[in-house]
Parts: sequence; structure tokens; C-alpha cells
Amino acid sequence: MNTESIEPFAAGIFTAAADGSGELLGAACTACGRRYFPRRDHCPVCGIDLAARSLGGRGTLYSFTVVRVRPPLGLPAPYAVGYVDLEDGPRVFGLLDPDAVDDFAIGMPLELRVAALGVDVRGRRCLRPYFAPRRGA
Amino acid sequence: MSLAHITGIGMVPFGKHVSRSIAGMAAEAVRLALADAGLPASRIGIAFFANAFGARLFGDLTLGQNALWEAGINRIPVVNVENACTSGSTAFVLACNAVAVGQAEFALAVGAEKLCVPELGLINSGATELETQLGLVAPASFALRAMRYMAESGTTADELAAVAVKNRAHAAKNPLAFFRGPALSVEQVLASPVVVDPLTKLQCCPNADGAAAVIVRAPAAARRMTRAIDVRAALLCTGSYENPQDLTHWETDYRACRMVYEAAGIGADDVDVVECHDAFTIAEILHYEALGLCAPGDGGRYAAAGHAALGGRVPVNPSGGLLSRGHPAAATGVAQLVELVMQLRGEAGERQVEHARVGVAQCMGGDKAGDTKSCTVAVLAA
Repeated sequence: MNTESIEPFAAGIFTAAADGSGELLGAACTACGRRYFPRRDHCPVCGIDLAARSLGGRGTLYSFTVVRVRPPLGLPAPYAVGYVDLEDGPRVFGLLDPDAVDDFAIGMPLELRVAALGVDVRGRRCLRPYFAPRRGA
Repeated sequence: MSLAHITGIGMVPFGKHVSRSIAGMAAEAVRLALADAGLPASRIGIAFFANAFGARLFGDLTLGQNALWEAGINRIPVVNVENACTSGSTAFVLACNAVAVGQAEFALAVGAEKLCVPELGLINSGATELETQLGLVAPASFALRAMRYMAESGTTADELAAVAVKNRAHAAKNPLAFFRGPALSVEQVLASPVVVDPLTKLQCCPNADGAAAVIVRAPAAARRMTRAIDVRAALLCTGSYENPQDLTHWETDYRACRMVYEAAGIGADDVDVVECHDAFTIAEILHYEALGLCAPGDGGRYAAAGHAALGGRVPVNPSGGLLSRGHPAAATGVAQLVELVMQLRGEAGERQVEHARVGVAQCMGGDKAGDTKSCTVAVLAA
């Protein structure tokens, strides 16, 4: 799929490589060590400026569910979502691979992918990150 | 030690009120509460009006002044309150605090909502929030808890469904409830369409229209009134939103329950009846645990054993709860108090909890970072 002309649903919170893999962009506080997703400018606890850093794209599935009613945002029906414990960061909420909605299990290794998925708040097709079962795992 | 007393209650039965306005329903609930208290409208010194979805669904703002004027209340301070599903219970906390500090002798808390409209869709925690834009809808946030909780505790789908069966049976005895029938079986609950795994439609609270109001009075003055119900404590908490959050409980729920018991000088063993925020079956199970009615992980078995049913150890949601009374968001937190007042006055009819002396109302609203945005808990005593 040609995703070149399609914009991310939100700017500056994930990267996409040519092979469809992706990484989440977050931030880490040098004072307290807290890591944040998405990226933010200040640590709410310490109040200091934060630098953006990649949180990678690998994680483990903490919990998941499949939404089986009419989806919002032009997402596929059904669609799956979950909380993922990133190897290099916090526990994050995210979409799960729409082509594998019935394949997920708690504890499963995952990797981040990026594709055209649904529409943004203005109704335009957009790129969204999602976690897929990790290949070779 | 008493924060305030509830001296009047009023409620528009929850259901589908297509031709009625938010302000009109609120005004009726207020008039009923004034009549119940035997109080002229001119005695209300401050009012807190709760509505959560009018701005989004109808483009309305600041409806409290409209509603109260319609009920004959004017000139006084009116505060419009939005705190998701705790909008109504937050209004109540504010009303109690207002009379406790002497701002007024009588204060009013009223919640009103209209959700039975085709354009509602799935409720979320705010359209521009990142998680909403990644597909998080309210039922999914509860389903994610259910999946993790079931995996950790061994709780079964049948045990989840037992909550819906119980609350429907309770609602059958409540003329103010939306779904008083038909009675449900565990099999029927599980056979209804899946909304979000593992929650079926009959495990999700129905959207509803309705309004509820309570009048509170400064405690020293109210002690002379025979039907006044003591508010021993009422508080509002928000989360720490530290990462990671354990989805098998809401940290804020546990903390709020612990704080309110301490403020009221009671423990879980003293509680006779509970109204809690059973937006989905899993939620009621997790609230048993936060309230200390059973140990963490035992909530499903507690429900299936009938301990939370009328006639059980501590009846939970004798009104039918959100699951069967229906959930007009901002009205729910006040309706919980209306139910507890009826129970503690001994005026709950067929659903009366025997020897009810202490009641707890627990409400929760919105999602943020794997916790709730808002949790209120109140302890009432006869």
C-alpha cells in the first residue's frame, strides 16, 4: 500500500519505516526517570523540560479486547485494542493488528506496525500505529 | 460527626423521555425534592446542577440556571458541574461542603441527562484524547479490565453475568428503574450479542434519560428532623495516573473507599447496603473489592454466591444499578443517593434491605491512563 501521501493521525508521536515497521516517540525525565508516551515537553511531576526519545516498537501484551459493535473513526469491524508493556518504556494503550483480531493472548510478544487505518478527527484517511504478533517470536 | 443531612429527594424515573428537555426533567426532580423536604423553593441557598453530555449532544451550556428557574429557584449562586459519570455525585459533594461550612442552610444537588438520541454513538473520554483516537471507547476500557482480571483471578463469564441477573431482579422491584423486566438468566445474559469481548450487551448499562435531586441541610439544624439522613462523609478523588496501572483494580477506587471509611469512622463490616457504579458487570465486581466487601480476586464468586443480592450479606444496587435502572450519566450519582435515602428511611417497598442503617454510594467517571478520572464515595446513615 502506498502510504506516502497519507498523514499520521497525530504528528510527532510515532515513526514509520519503509517496511511498515514503526516506533513510538515518547520522552524520559532525567530527574525522576519516568517515561511518557506520547512525547511531552515537561515532566508533570518534576516540571523540567523533557527530551524526545524513541520507546521502540517491541512489547508484551498486558490485556486486550475486541470491539464488535460499530467502530468509531472508520476503524475496521471488528477491531482489537490492548495495553502493551513496552520493552523500553511504559504500559501503553494501542490498536492491535486488524488482520489478527482473534489471535491475541495475554503475554504475547508484539511489534509495532504502521499502516493506513481509519480516518482522523477531520474524516481524512490516516496512518495509525498498531501492534502485531511479533514475527519469529 | 456529620457533614450534612439529606432532607429531601426527588427523581424522574429513568427511561426514554424523548419529548422532555434536560432542564424540564431537572426542574421536576427539584420540585419533588422540595415537596419531599416540605421546603419552599426560596429556602435553597445555593445549588449545584450536573449535566455531562448536553454540550456535546445538543450544544447546550450552563443549563443549571434554566432548570432551577423553572423550579422556582432564582437569585442564588448556581454552579454548573461536569465530571463525567460522577457529575451528579460531585454536585452532591459540593452541596454537602457548602452547608458544612455555613455558606447556606439548605443546598441543592441535581443531576439531569438526555442520552436516548441516535447521534450518541459509543461514549469516550474526550474526542481529542490520544487513546480515543486510537479506538478506546468506554466499553473497551472495562473489557480490558475484565480480560486481565479473569486471567489473573480465574473469574468466569458466568460469574460476570450473575451481576446482570441480580441487578435486573432488583430493578423489577423499583418503579423508578428503566428495565424492570424481563427477568434474566445467566444463559440469556451470555447469549446476548457481544459488544466488547467478554462483555455482552446485557452486561453493559443502557443509556437513559432522567433526573434526580437531593436537598442537604447543615447538620445542626437538621438533627431535629425525623426523616433526615445523616451524611457521615462524602468525598471526591482523582488518580495519580502513574504508569503502569494495574487493570485488575482502580487505585483511585481503593483510595477513595479507604478515605471515606476513615472519615466516617466505619469499616466495611458496618455497611448494610451499597449503590455502586456498575456501568458494566466487571465494574461492580471490582467495586466489591475496593469497598472491602470481599478479598481482591473473589468478587465474581461473591456475586455468583448471591452475597450482593437482596437478602444476601450486603445488598449491592438494590435499585437495579446502572445496568437495569439505566444510566443518564449526570443523574446517576444523585439517583444512587435517592435510593440509599429511601433504604435508610425504610421507604424502599419491595426492595427494602432489612435493618439498613448504613449505606455507601460509590460512583466513577471517565478514563485516564488506566485509572479513572474521578471517583466519589459517600457514607449515609439513618
